[in-house]
Amino acid sequence: MRLPRLFRTTPFRLTLLFLALFAAAASAFLGYIYVATAGEVNRRADAEINREMESLEAAYRQGGVNALNQTIVERASGERPFLYFLADKTGKRISGSIEASPLDDFEGDGPSWSSFKVTEVDLDGAEMRNPARGVQERLAGGEVLFVGADVAASEGYVRKIVRALWGAGALVILLGLAGGVLISRNVSRSMQGLVDLVAAVQAGDLQARAKVRGARDEYDELAEGLNDMLDRIERLMGGLRHAGDAIAHDLRSPLTRLRARMEVALIDAENGKGDPVAALETALQDADGVLKTFNAVLAIARLQAAGQAPDQQSFDSSELARDMAELYEFSCEDKGLDFKAEITPALHIRGNREFIAQALANLLDNAIKYTPSGGAIMLRARRRSSGELEFSITDTGPGVPDEDRARVVQRFVRLENSRSEPGAGLGLSLVQAVAASHGGRLELAEGPGEYNGMGPGLRVALVLPRVE
Amino acid sequence: MRILIIEDDIEAAGAMSHGLTEAGYECVHAPDGEAGLKEAGKGGFDVLIVDRMMPKKDGVEVVETLRREGDNTPVLFLSALGEVSDRVVGLKAGADDYLVKPYAFPELMARVEALSRRRETGAVATTLKVGELEMNLINRTVHRAGKEIDLQPREFQLLEFMMRHAGQSVTRTMLLEKVWEYHFDPQTNVIDVHISRLRSKIDKGFDRAMLQTVRGAGYRLDP
Repeated sequence: MRLPRLFRTTPFRLTLLFLALFAAAASAFLGYIYVATAGEVNRRADAEINREMESLEAAYRQGGVNALNQTIVERASGERPFLYFLADKTGKRISGSIEASPLDDFEGDGPSWSSFKVTEVDLDGAEMRNPARGVQERLAGGEVLFVGADVAASEGYVRKIVRALWGAGALVILLGLAGGVLISRNVSRSMQGLVDLVAAVQAGDLQARAKVRGARDEYDELAEGLNDMLDRIERLMGGLRHAGDAIAHDLRSPLTRLRARMEVALIDAENGKGDPVAALETALQDADGVLKTFNAVLAIARLQAAGQAPDQQSFDSSELARDMAELYEFSCEDKGLDFKAEITPALHIRGNREFIAQALANLLDNAIKYTPSGGAIMLRARRRSSGELEFSITDTGPGVPDEDRARVVQRFVRLENSRSEPGAGLGLSLVQAVAASHGGRLELAEGPGEYNGMGPGLRVALVLPRVE
Repeated sequence: MRILIIEDDIEAAGAMSHGLTEAGYECVHAPDGEAGLKEAGKGGFDVLIVDRMMPKKDGVEVVETLRREGDNTPVLFLSALGEVSDRVVGLKAGADDYLVKPYAFPELMARVEALSRRRETGAVATTLKVGELEMNLINRTVHRAGKEIDLQPREFQLLEFMMRHAGQSVTRTMLLEKVWEYHFDPQTNVIDVHISRLRSKIDKGFDRAMLQTVRGAGYRLDP
């Protein structure tokens, strides 16, 4: 037989375990209360019987059996709640409030305790057998003295305590069980939400999210973690889909152009016109362009999909910056641009050297491409006071208007005034992807402002987190 | 010169073989790793062009087996896997060069040429000599026809690489890889700028230009 779902849950099993521990602790506690209260009641009754016995013995020592007899008769008829019985050496009753000793054994010398029942007739004539307790002793002269007391009242008190304790025990177990079931059900319900979420995601619903109840407990933490993860997965999936669309979109036009050119070349060749070799050369160039675009999009998509740059290693990024400066310096000179590099030495970094080199190369490419002759370009590598590494490239070109800055890092976005320049609009997207895959970011800001009648220029910074 | 092409894509192998044959090489094609190993075992090849992902035995396994058997024929890996880690795996397996698919034929040609002459030019030398050009690797001086040419350190490295591959086409990608040791794809003409600087230093004032531009491929240093 399968247990209901609730009873199979871990919280419920834990509840049972804790309940058992709790019950054990409660029994020990209740047991102690029992000994401390019920035991005390009996001890007190015994002490009173003892005191009565001692006072009678005192009377016996002073006046012999007659004085004792006298005292017993007086006391038995008085208000004292004790039962008395006095017998001679042979066990024959002399006096007392009861007809016979509840203890038949008259042989012993020492005090001998006993619990027994006394039959009493109450005012209505009904017989009641009450519990009683007493002690019997042989006196110096051989007489036997018994003193007892009706303990019905105190026994009743003890019984009440015992009943109360049983009740308390049952309550503890009941409450514990109920609480356990309640807690288990709550936890199960919370977990059920996550189980349902996982099932939904597995079924392909990437928009499903776990409910965060705002209790700030571990459940919420788990739910938030799961939601973050799902956000990320959704973003990555979106990125991949976007990359696919972008590739399809951006490769379609050059591929169409390539195809058209080849068709025209074929027709011309058949008619003996045109130069098929030149046509093939152009086609080859087009194909190379397509491949370049494809490689760039692929690199971006891979970086975004991986989330983290592959093949990370520690290296001196100052050296890399110097290499890039040296690589591009002459290109700047050729274009009549003033080039300067300010590189703080020994900027150690952990990352993918090739990707960071590519990113800096892209930024320098852009700066050279968009800065008119007579302008200036500055490459700077330094550590910010926050500990982050900053590679910035400042140019004196036309700059990027504030409202376009978020847009230019997107794939295939090209500003109107750059349409005439070659390129696919992937350079900054790749830099952005490189930055993100290293836990860094790309910052675009206004450049140095007016320079040689140009400006305001652009300042692009690749900011990478500090290495611990 | 004989080249063994181990490539499972028959058409790609055919195009490659055609191009290389046109360039004067003798080509043998093996359609998978096992056949490639068998063919390579016969010996007599100057360069092996090995695809990485193939049926039966992949390229890395083929190269590792060859190297274990003591075969030191230069190997050029061809692969669609272009990440740095992929290159490292390929080069660690014992390959000498690594070209990522899709590639331009002149690039392949240039690399094959560089590999096929590797053993001749790889000897330890203190001076390099190409035609009138003389490079002293110890005191790092360059003379052309007795006239000293003053070069920056990187220009020196660039010229050294060109001289070691004199008479061969060398592509821009190869220069970035071998001289600067970066593997990214330069979008602009950065390498051309460096070459043109070098050219102005070694060819200016002489009636014959040694540094040639090879259309569609890159550059060549002629004696």
